[in-house]
Amino acid sequence: MPDTTETTNRFDALVIGGGIAGAEAALNLANMGFSVVIVEKDLSLGGKMIHLSKVFPTLDCSACITTPKISETARHPNIKIFTYSEVHDIKKLGENRFTAQIHKKPRYVKEDECTGCEACEKVCPVIVEDQFQFDLVGRKVAYIPFSIANPRVAAIDIENCILCGACEKACLAEAIDFTQEMEIIPIEIKAVVVATGYHLIDPVKLPNYGYSKFKNVVTAMQMERQLVPTRPFNTVLRPKDGKMPENIAYVLCAGSRDETVGNPICSQICCMYSIKQAQLIMGALPMADVTIYYLHIRAFGKGFNEFYLQAKSMGVDFVKGKVAKITEKENGNLIVRYEDVYKGKVKETEHDLVVLANGILANDGISEMFDGVKLETDPFHYVKQIDELANPTRTSIPGVFVAGAASGPMDIPDSILSAGAASSETASYIRRLS
Amino acid sequence: MSKTINIIKEKRQVTEMAKQRRKTYADIRKQLLQALEEEGKTIPELATSTGLPIEDVTYYLMTMRKFGDVVTGSVDDDDAYFYYELKKK
Repeated sequence: MPDTTETTNRFDALVIGGGIAGAEAALNLANMGFSVVIVEKDLSLGGKMIHLSKVFPTLDCSACITTPKISETARHPNIKIFTYSEVHDIKKLGENRFTAQIHKKPRYVKEDECTGCEACEKVCPVIVEDQFQFDLVGRKVAYIPFSIANPRVAAIDIENCILCGACEKACLAEAIDFTQEMEIIPIEIKAVVVATGYHLIDPVKLPNYGYSKFKNVVTAMQMERQLVPTRPFNTVLRPKDGKMPENIAYVLCAGSRDETVGNPICSQICCMYSIKQAQLIMGALPMADVTIYYLHIRAFGKGFNEFYLQAKSMGVDFVKGKVAKITEKENGNLIVRYEDVYKGKVKETEHDLVVLANGILANDGISEMFDGVKLETDPFHYVKQIDELANPTRTSIPGVFVAGAASGPMDIPDSILSAGAASSETASYIRRLS
Repeated sequence: MSKTINIIKEKRQVTEMAKQRRKTYADIRKQLLQALEEEGKTIPELATSTGLPIEDVTYYLMTMRKFGDVVTGSVDDDDAYFYYELKKK
């Protein structure tokens, strides 16, 4: 159980990141009897996985896997959680302990008072882009992040707030508190698990694909949200004009395996999530044609190749070719210009919706969390695995372990495996200390 | 009990962008609600009747759908566009 002194909260382990890898690592450690503190930068636990529709290659419901684990994590007596918070100044003191500071940002809502009733959301008069629906629709400035958020607690987006006070008037629980300020919470821990995941490449950096300029060019996460039960539209629709698309193209390796955007490595998940989405689209829009433009299909995992063959047998058209440019017609349709590798020709094909399978990058700023000790990163800015083959969770700092995609691109099963290994190594390390 | 909004008002200025966002949403919402008063319409029909850019109609209409102002109706004869209607209250 967390041990609190007058000025410092003591825990056995700090887990940075509350996504699926962080939750897995924290839960394993907590179940072994260690006290754990999770620090999550977003308003909810669950990371990227909680926003997905289904997982490949089994097509199991993603939220049905994530939410029980997140719920168990949130309710565990050995786990203390800080959402909307960041870790700073991790210092190693001697051989056996670390100190750090948690910066808890104000959400202007008392977490223990809010009932998640949405009364504040209903009366808020301002709309901004809903980052949890990847900007396809708006959200209010006083808002519950998303329906299955954990904690299900409102927040006020103060930068966009007009300070009308309607939310405070409407809140029967008196949970709105505009006097909140940043809290700095010192902690002391014995070990650290870095589970900070990855971020998606901003497709605006790929100007030849026209993202943001052409509304019917969307990212894979925007398509993913269109395929979940809590989708922003009533079905898969074009963001420009609400038309049901009939002819959808996927552009793989959009920003990965591409030196020109500084990301020469394979993102490992784009082929399979595109194949998954293609199959789901064929279920949602039975009349739609789906074409996948690819360089190589990397179906390396268990059941992946069969999943690829299943998509082919369902009628997904796989075209081996590098897409050079996308242009828009007046009716919102898109012309995809590509090199057909097998035919050795440059071709142009019209589609009414294009999905960019945008690759992934390391999360920046992990090393900057440490003070006085250097957390080494690899040439692609992922946390460096010091002993990649024999002990892949070890980092350059004894007592700091890495879990999931913080060490490199990987899919969900591999992230969970990695988090399991990190929690085992962390437990062994803490036990050796005592 | 005194409201905490009065305390933050003394410390923070409301940005012009935030004021403009409130106004834009209120204006577009009013136009879309009026356009749907008589009968359900598709997004291109709404864009024509309001004169708003079609991508703005899609964005704000779907936002209004999310907050329960409008509901999705039937699909048109070409199976291309849905009709959207005011939610009966």
